[in-house]
Amino acid sequence: MAQRTTEILVGLFMIAGIAALLVLALQVSGLSPKSAESTYTIYANFNDTGGLTPRGRVSMAGVTVGTIESITLNKETFQARVRMSISSDVDNIPADSSAVIRTSGLLGEQYIDISIGAEVESLKEGDTFYSTQSAMNLERLISNFASGRAGN
Amino acid sequence: MDSSAYISLEDVVFSRSGRRIFDGVSLEIPRGKITAIMGPSGTGKTTLLRLIGGQLRPDSGRVVVDGHEVPKLRRKALYAFREKMGMLFQSGALFTDLSVFENVAFPLRVHTRLPEDMIRDIVLMKLEAVGLRGARHLMPSELSGGMTRRVALARSIALDPELILYDEPFAGQDPIAMGVLVKLIRDLNSSMGLTSVLVSHDVPESLSICHYACIIADGRVIGEGSPEQLREHPSGQVQQFLQGQPDGPVPFHYPAEGAARDFGLSGGVS
Amino acid sequence: MIERIAAFGRLGLDTVSSFGRSGRFLAGVLGGVPRPATGFPLLMKQLYAVGVLSLPIIVVSGLFIGMVLALQGYTILSDYGSEAAIGQMIALTLVRELGPVVTALLFAGRAGSALTAEIGLMKATEQLSSMEMMGVDPLRRVVAPRLWAGFIAMPVLAAIFSVIGIWGGMLVGVDWLGVFEGSFWGNMQSSVDFVDDVLNGMVKSVVFGFVCTWIAVYQGYDCVPTSAGISSATTKTVVYSSLAVLGLDFVLTAVMFGDF
Repeated sequence: MAQRTTEILVGLFMIAGIAALLVLALQVSGLSPKSAESTYTIYANFNDTGGLTPRGRVSMAGVTVGTIESITLNKETFQARVRMSISSDVDNIPADSSAVIRTSGLLGEQYIDISIGAEVESLKEGDTFYSTQSAMNLERLISNFASGRAGN
Repeated sequence: MDSSAYISLEDVVFSRSGRRIFDGVSLEIPRGKITAIMGPSGTGKTTLLRLIGGQLRPDSGRVVVDGHEVPKLRRKALYAFREKMGMLFQSGALFTDLSVFENVAFPLRVHTRLPEDMIRDIVLMKLEAVGLRGARHLMPSELSGGMTRRVALARSIALDPELILYDEPFAGQDPIAMGVLVKLIRDLNSSMGLTSVLVSHDVPESLSICHYACIIADGRVIGEGSPEQLREHPSGQVQQFLQGQPDGPVPFHYPAEGAARDFGLSGGVS
Repeated sequence: MIERIAAFGRLGLDTVSSFGRSGRFLAGVLGGVPRPATGFPLLMKQLYAVGVLSLPIIVVSGLFIGMVLALQGYTILSDYGSEAAIGQMIALTLVRELGPVVTALLFAGRAGSALTAEIGLMKATEQLSSMEMMGVDPLRRVVAPRLWAGFIAMPVLAAIFSVIGIWGGMLVGVDWLGVFEGSFWGNMQSSVDFVDDVLNGMVKSVVFGFVCTWIAVYQGYDCVPTSAGISSATTKTVVYSSLAVLGLDFVLTAVMFGDF
């Protein structure tokens, strides 16, 4: 009888542990069962990626549609090549869209925002963005501003 | 010694943390008899039992029990061999988280696959043998010292061993409990025909029940024989031990430097 | 001078030999096939003692640590106007670091010391010896279920600790300090990665669980069987476990998160 009580309590304990792990997975890390869904890969070349990091998000109109897979240096053009995977649901990104590096908030993390183009053709697996806009560098901005004023 | 030896120790040397505890002990323990091993405290009597049980290995020499050379047994064989052996520890060593019944049932549950009602019968039989059938529901913490030892005795005979080792069974017992234990040890030996080895420093009780006794001191056997032979033993050390004289071959004083010097009286204080 | 060097050398040899003994001890415990029929109830009993009974202290500590994190984080983050990042801060701190580490420290203090004292006392009262004489290996019968129980219970406790902590942080952050709930969870979800953060944290707690229980049962089994010996073994358990947890935490963190 006591043995049975022990078993039930231990069972509850283990269930609590598994439930906690589920909470950590679903609620805390936002892992959704859909995360294994199919994606396709597109690229973008930037002159300056600033503080962009792998695992960062890619969004359109503020909605996350993909993640940044890797950031590498193209040794010929000396540009950064960003590889990102986009959810297959979003398969109609116009081919003349541009990738813009933005910052969430003043000091927040940097992410890629896709600003929508107008063309009928859409980006396919392995395509590269035609136009990009590099990270806004606060220091450079200030020095531009200061020198512009001096020249005035 | 009418029957063959059940246990024989040959020239056993054993030392622990640099101290030599046995310096060539040779001993034969007859089958089916009660043998008492006596000696002053600290002579390694318990160590001797542990050597027989294979919990310790001698530095050199042979320990043979029922034809098995104990120190050479492999782990598995050693554990199988111990099933034929019961040991009564000085403290009883009952499992404090189990009831009296479960304590006695423990070896049966581990080593046999008997059905529950048979285990129950055997346990109650063993508890009856030590007169504690009514105490089966008690926990070890509720038992007196004498009862603890009787439960432990019931547990060590649960598997009907051939050999039973008693480690100081009489130490710290009141006269009634001691009488009970003496009776139990004698009865068990005669009814079950087992070989008993008794380690003790309680001379009268031990000599009253044993068929054969030996006295160990300073890492050696200093005297052995039947109780009558021992009482007539010529050695002064044996006589001092048997009669409990405070001074004799074993000095009253622990070895020390000269008293005069120790107390600073020898005039060398400059 | 020579004596000092000799003493130092002896200390080194003692340390190495005690590592060796604990390794052999571990091999003795884990070697051999567990028998499910007898092993399972024993494991249940130990899981109850080590896991279920540790829950209250884990839950209460987790709650308070989460609440403190929220308060402290809010004070600092509100200077930069980014209170919304509080969720992310609490979750990352708990899941990566405080969850496994604080759980392990509490575990060493509560369950580890109890294991050492229990096994030490069984040794002192000759229960282990008598088991051996009954042909039962105490390493497998007494030590192995305890080791496995600690190994299993620790990640469970750490996960519960983290969840309760995050909940406590939400209570303070959202209900009391008025951070918008959507951004609390949203920021958290966008920055916490399941594999990199949650699973790595779990790996940590598995390692800590193993090391803490190993130290606890070894100290109990190896103690000098007197009351002074048991008390010193219990102290050693808590001290060694805490040091091992903190040291290993550094190593594991460097390996897991070092390249970020």
